[in-house]
Amino acid sequence: MPRTLLAFAIGFGAALAAGWGAFPRVLYQKKVQPIEFRHKTHAAKSGTSACGDCHALRDDGGFGGIPATASCAGCHGEPMGATKAEAALVNDYVKPHRETPWLVYARQPANVRFSHAIHTRLAGLKCAECHGAQGETDAVKPYEVNRISGYSRDIWGRSMSRLRRAPHEGMKMTDCEDCHRKRGVEAGCLGCHQ
Amino acid sequence: MKPSRRNLLALGGGAMAGVVFTPLPWKLLDDTAIWTQNWPWIPQPARGPVEVKAAACSLCPHGCGLQVRMAAGFPVGVSGAPAHPVSGGALCPLAFGAHQLNWHPRRLHEVRRRGRAASWDAASMALRAAAAEGPVAVIDGRPGRGASAILRDFAGKSGAYITAPGPEERSLAPYAAWSGVPASALGYDLESARTIISFGAPLLDGWGTPGRFTRLWSTHAAGLGDPELRLIQIEPGLSHTATLAWRWVPARPGSDAALAAGLARVLVEERLVPAKGPVPATSVADAAGAAGLPADAIVELARMIAQRAPALAISVDGEPAVAALNLLLGGGIVQRRETAAPQAAAIAPRAVVIDATVPWEYEPASGAEVFRFAAWDGGGSKADWLLPAPGFLEEITEHPSAPGSAVASYALSPALMDAPADVRGAAAFVGGTPADAVLARCQEIFRARNGGLYRRGAKDAVPLASLESAARLQDELLAGAVWVDDPAGSRKVRCELKEWPAAAAGTHRGGWADAWSAPVLPPLATKLYQESNLREVPARSRI
Amino acid sequence: MKKRRYGMVIDLDRCTGCGACSVACAAENNVPPAAPRATERTGITPLRVQPVSNGASGPARREVFIPLMCMQCGEHTPCVSVCPQQAVEVDSATGIVTQMPQRCLGCRYCMTACPYHARYFNWWDPEWPAGMEKTLNPGVATRMRGVVEKCNLCHSRLHAAEDKAAAANQREVNPADYVPACVEACPTGAILFGDLADETSAVARAARAPQAFRLLEKLGTEPKVYYRSNRPWVRALAEPRTVPAKEVQRG
Repeated sequence: MPRTLLAFAIGFGAALAAGWGAFPRVLYQKKVQPIEFRHKTHAAKSGTSACGDCHALRDDGGFGGIPATASCAGCHGEPMGATKAEAALVNDYVKPHRETPWLVYARQPANVRFSHAIHTRLAGLKCAECHGAQGETDAVKPYEVNRISGYSRDIWGRSMSRLRRAPHEGMKMTDCEDCHRKRGVEAGCLGCHQ
Repeated sequence: MKPSRRNLLALGGGAMAGVVFTPLPWKLLDDTAIWTQNWPWIPQPARGPVEVKAAACSLCPHGCGLQVRMAAGFPVGVSGAPAHPVSGGALCPLAFGAHQLNWHPRRLHEVRRRGRAASWDAASMALRAAAAEGPVAVIDGRPGRGASAILRDFAGKSGAYITAPGPEERSLAPYAAWSGVPASALGYDLESARTIISFGAPLLDGWGTPGRFTRLWSTHAAGLGDPELRLIQIEPGLSHTATLAWRWVPARPGSDAALAAGLARVLVEERLVPAKGPVPATSVADAAGAAGLPADAIVELARMIAQRAPALAISVDGEPAVAALNLLLGGGIVQRRETAAPQAAAIAPRAVVIDATVPWEYEPASGAEVFRFAAWDGGGSKADWLLPAPGFLEEITEHPSAPGSAVASYALSPALMDAPADVRGAAAFVGGTPADAVLARCQEIFRARNGGLYRRGAKDAVPLASLESAARLQDELLAGAVWVDDPAGSRKVRCELKEWPAAAAGTHRGGWADAWSAPVLPPLATKLYQESNLREVPARSRI
Repeated sequence: MKKRRYGMVIDLDRCTGCGACSVACAAENNVPPAAPRATERTGITPLRVQPVSNGASGPARREVFIPLMCMQCGEHTPCVSVCPQQAVEVDSATGIVTQMPQRCLGCRYCMTACPYHARYFNWWDPEWPAGMEKTLNPGVATRMRGVVEKCNLCHSRLHAAEDKAAAANQREVNPADYVPACVEACPTGAILFGDLADETSAVARAARAPQAFRLLEKLGTEPKVYYRSNRPWVRALAEPRTVPAKEVQRG
């Protein structure tokens, strides 16, 4: 009897270890961004502190997202320093006028409609409330892709259990719904889907 | 100490119990659900900022103004350019799917010689060899372009420069013969007409510039019991135009000439129009017999036509008797202020170059070597050489006056997409520089200083004199402006008609498929032809 | 934001049956070209134009072209009440009957329930010739085999109009910015679109005119698509019992 119990306990323990320890490591694959980028350095050198200065809303209400390579060219037309990343930016992207294939942490499926204009202008949300304080980071955080769904780990959030996560963590539909419920905003299905 | 079977089962049971308390099964379930929403074989649209660019449609010679929505460098939607002086913001159904045509399965990507792959060099050598042996004929579907001048020069004095008339120009052919003015410079004054008698011309269904007559009809005729603009449709079957007309006269097929003569006779005999010019010999009874209508109906119809002047008679196929009836009614045919291509001399060419603007139905019957330019394979061509041309919005295109229009105009459309690597236009192939020809055409217009420029969306024109140079005019045109001549520049054409014309041989053509000979349809046109009962599938336009 | 009731009034006297609305609709909403086996029953035409005759023969025979799409029923919306997935709802802010293909199970109850046959089932996965997927409208997600779709009144254009308004710190959408593709495409301007809840709007006034009517009004579903015609026989088509069944469909 104790041996049976022991075997059960071992099985139980191994499953817990596999589910909490090994599973996330197998499920997510770490990827490096094509270029090393420092928000802090850029903010300091350009003298900006608002996210919207670089990640701007267009006049038509669309969101510009990550700035195009053309906006890097102003300063990085020629390498500024001798680092490898600098040479890669100038030679691989700026000079051949190629867009940098950034890995986007908040990338949503094609059937999701998210309006940055409505959330930032009308609802007055701060960027960091959903994205975290990216602008104050020294280096961009590691990108982890879900091998099954193909989306970034940031959609689910760092915490596998989704129980104790930071307010900005998680970008699943339930997270949208939670916030909408809290604020009493109704959008309807096609308010957020397209 | 050997583990027993019971221990193994307990281990497994423990593992199963444990896994429930980990994120593994729940996360797998969630991720798998998301995975099933993203099948790799279902394409999803690209992301990118949307911008709207001005262009003009090159599918037919009318050159309607377009607004093209672009995202990620590709067109994703087409709509009519509001207040466009040529198309008035309207488009035909085909234009709304035109931006997809460049990826049509019938797109030509390589030079083909009698069905086999060949090279541009071989085609070029073959054309040079043929030109050395005898005269060359060039067929142009859109005369009046800068590129047309290149083609005309290439044909040279010994060769022939031939224009391929569309349905509107075919219907104007009798006036060209009687006035000496080429049909490509003639037009209909639809705007001042109060009664229009159409002998089978699909006026509301693809005849003329979409948005020209359709707009007139919708504001002056639609839904009104006694409309300001009366449309009388003479046609054997209940076509779209016939069903929308104020009166539909179901005459027998092939009776247009007799009916026109009968109407003319009543008009003259009852002094409903000032008697001028020849009178037909046909009696009203004969006309009634031929048309399968009671004689009273013809008399009544003639009175109806005379009631609200000016009246304009239009035939679908250039029936001379209908043209003669129209002259009796007062004309309504104008000559635009532009230099039209002279009539080509009859020659037996050694080689024929067909520009991509020529509809597929034009297939020379002579024994010459045929060089056929096209962006899409229309099917059934017997041309010796099939040469791939740039497709929709892949090159700068010129849009001279729309066939049948009352006023001369000229527009340019920018290239909004890159053309595939191995395509060429006829003008470049024969050694011309289309870019120079376009500028030369702009210089011609600029020097003449006639008319004005309608900028994108503007209701009023700015005088041409306010521009500083021809290059500036070209830039304006590429940005969506349209040059339109002063309406006073067009004048009524004079026709010399000695006797009532004999009936032309041939039957009543008519119908949408004939008027609109675009064998390759935009893929979305399947919505009209395959998945709805709005249209019958044209025989040659399987998608 | 104020409650709106988007709807349209289609002037059947000005419809020439050209089909531009139908093609523009398909292009806007990323509806693929017909699958080789598709017919008018199995193909996807969120907006189709139906020719209907007056039943007469000879020169008195006339046809009218009726653009048919989702009628945006406001009350007892049949598709909403039968959907087991809650994939359809009447949007409370706009009055648009919104269909969520991603949520659809493919049971097709809604297609049976819809009195207007305005719903279409994806019998095949959407397919475009190679390269043509570059021309897909970025505002609309493509659908897959096994789901139902229908006219959402070009919801992506409403999204774009909302974004534009929000960028200018406006809550109300500028009516000129939200025009469905069919309305924009109509060469004769036969379709009037706007907010029916706004009594002063052109569309609300046109809907109140005596020549205006709705199809199958007796069902009490309060459709928001109105038609208008000066011809009495066209207005009589609204209740199909007055026209012999064999005359309803041409050919």
